[in-house]
Amino acid sequence: MEPVIGMDCPPAMEGNFLSPTALIWQDILAQAMTGELIAAMNYTSLSQICDDPGEIADALEHAQGERGHAAAFAAEGRRIGVDVPNNVDAKHWKRLREAFLRCVADRDFIGCLIVQEIMLESFAVASYARVARVAAGSLGKTFAAIAAEEEEHIDHAMEILRRERALDRKRFDDKVHRLHLDVMTTLSEMMARDCRTGHCEVCHGSCVKPSLFEVSLSAVELRGASLQQYLKTLDMLGLPGEVTLQWVAQLPV
Amino acid sequence: MGSSVAGVVSRERLISDDSDVIDFALIGHQESWKAAADVLAVLRGPERTPLPDDEIRDILPWIPPRAVCHVEIGSTCVSADGVTSRVRARGLYIDTFIPSDRLDSAYLHENIARVRAAAACAIRAGAKIVSLGGFSSILIEGNFELLPERHATVFTTGNTLTVGFIVQGVRKMCALEDRDLRASTLLIVGATGDVGSGCARCLAPLVRRVLLSARNLERLHRLAAELEADGVEVEFATDVRRFSHEADVVICAASLATPSFLLSRIGPDAIVCDAGYPKNLSASAQMPGVRVFFGGLGQISGGMRFEPDFRGILNRHPFPDVVHGCLLEGMALALEGRFEPFSQGRGSITPERVAQIERIAARHGIHLAPLYNADGPVEVDADAGKCVASSAF
Repeated sequence: MEPVIGMDCPPAMEGNFLSPTALIWQDILAQAMTGELIAAMNYTSLSQICDDPGEIADALEHAQGERGHAAAFAAEGRRIGVDVPNNVDAKHWKRLREAFLRCVADRDFIGCLIVQEIMLESFAVASYARVARVAAGSLGKTFAAIAAEEEEHIDHAMEILRRERALDRKRFDDKVHRLHLDVMTTLSEMMARDCRTGHCEVCHGSCVKPSLFEVSLSAVELRGASLQQYLKTLDMLGLPGEVTLQWVAQLPV
Repeated sequence: MGSSVAGVVSRERLISDDSDVIDFALIGHQESWKAAADVLAVLRGPERTPLPDDEIRDILPWIPPRAVCHVEIGSTCVSADGVTSRVRARGLYIDTFIPSDRLDSAYLHENIARVRAAAACAIRAGAKIVSLGGFSSILIEGNFELLPERHATVFTTGNTLTVGFIVQGVRKMCALEDRDLRASTLLIVGATGDVGSGCARCLAPLVRRVLLSARNLERLHRLAAELEADGVEVEFATDVRRFSHEADVVICAASLATPSFLLSRIGPDAIVCDAGYPKNLSASAQMPGVRVFFGGLGQISGGMRFEPDFRGILNRHPFPDVVHGCLLEGMALALEGRFEPFSQGRGSITPERVAQIERIAARHGIHLAPLYNADGPVEVDADAGKCVASSAF
């Protein structure tokens, strides 16, 4: 997918005023928007391997919802005077998308749900909730509302995944672990305190992480909250806590 | 399972036949960042580089309370007819992941929430009995209603066996130092807490005079009146420095942020039992000449096995299979098949209850651990070993 706007375009201006933190919010929104577009693409891909018409409709509805979230983030950008870029081909996001597409290629519906709903959405819900705490006005409300909607997605998927796990716990847990190694390793690198592997290809200029304190956020907080949410989601699925702790402890930092 | 099994084993049985059943759960946390780093290093495995200290400090506070490992314990029971049987029980160690620098009152609500979440883990795992280790016990001991709905799981603070091992330790240390306990003046710091008041009730009849110190004057009044009614000579004060110089034997049952300040006036020959949590009294550093030992610790002779292998990481003592008394209480009750909330609330530990839990523990080979302190073993004939002061167990 092409970026909605070019990566090098200057931020939009409303009159002559641009908040000192607008460029930080621009990068935060760009990450969120890219994540939503990846989610929309994933759900569209998922619809192609569903057999049940109801499941197809659900997947397409979710895809539409995620596109709506992306549009909402773009609108919030305009409200604070910045254009919000996106880059679904950015290195981390591309790897996450490829991990999902491998599940699609295997026609692995459960694998798709695990990647999107358990892993990617855990990070989205936790990160958005933290951003919502500090973002003022409409921006904060949008992040909070989208976090709540994403949480509903997780709840919906949990029912399906719990049923699947009840059929064969070991097989299910092995699959989660295999996907964890693939997806969570990428997410951990993406959420690391410092971007040690170079530019993420989403931030507009230099890495936004060192500047997050200016909007009362930190990369440490976003990573911590995301991993916490992920562990809690795995707990809700019934995976043993001592096992998932070991998985998370082995992730790169 | 550990190898220190005495006698001929003629029968072996598990407390629960179903291998999925969790007989006991132990709730605790790491006493230092170093201990937390070691736990995470085990979880990461030898093939990965350990996490840097700053990353550990960033990540650990976000980890929700959860099981860290399985624990299997064994005991040897000798019946009246001399038949030896081996009993095994299975458990879980659940860590609250309370950071070691967040034990103060500023984090009270957050820490209670963590203990509640850890308790919920134990309940979900179907643990029959749960011991609240160390600081989690301090947080919950008077507030069991704060725990989640419990179904078939019972909780114990484990404080009764802790008191038993403190008292045994004091008596042993006095014997080692050739001191006459009956001629001693006993000072208890943190006297109105569950452990402190239990120690007072057990030791008051054995000493010449008792000094009580705690923050709550009303509770001090009540405890002193109770002891005086039994003919004990008692003094009490909220400021320990008022009479600390008079003490021959000191039990420090409070968690002291600045122990050297509070105990600076203790006589140079005093015996001091560090019964607080975490244990932070160091004779060589803070009170030269004073004989300090860590109290409230027991040793399980039937052995203890961790899966994954956290031996020496979760139980960081200079002797094998040493565990805090509060955790051993739940283990002893599990081995006994007595799944009951033996220690609850505050101020109800009596010499009779202590004797009862000591008998149960002894029946399963759980005894007072060899005495040691931050500098190493204090017993001449004790095996020397690596000495690490902090421990979740």
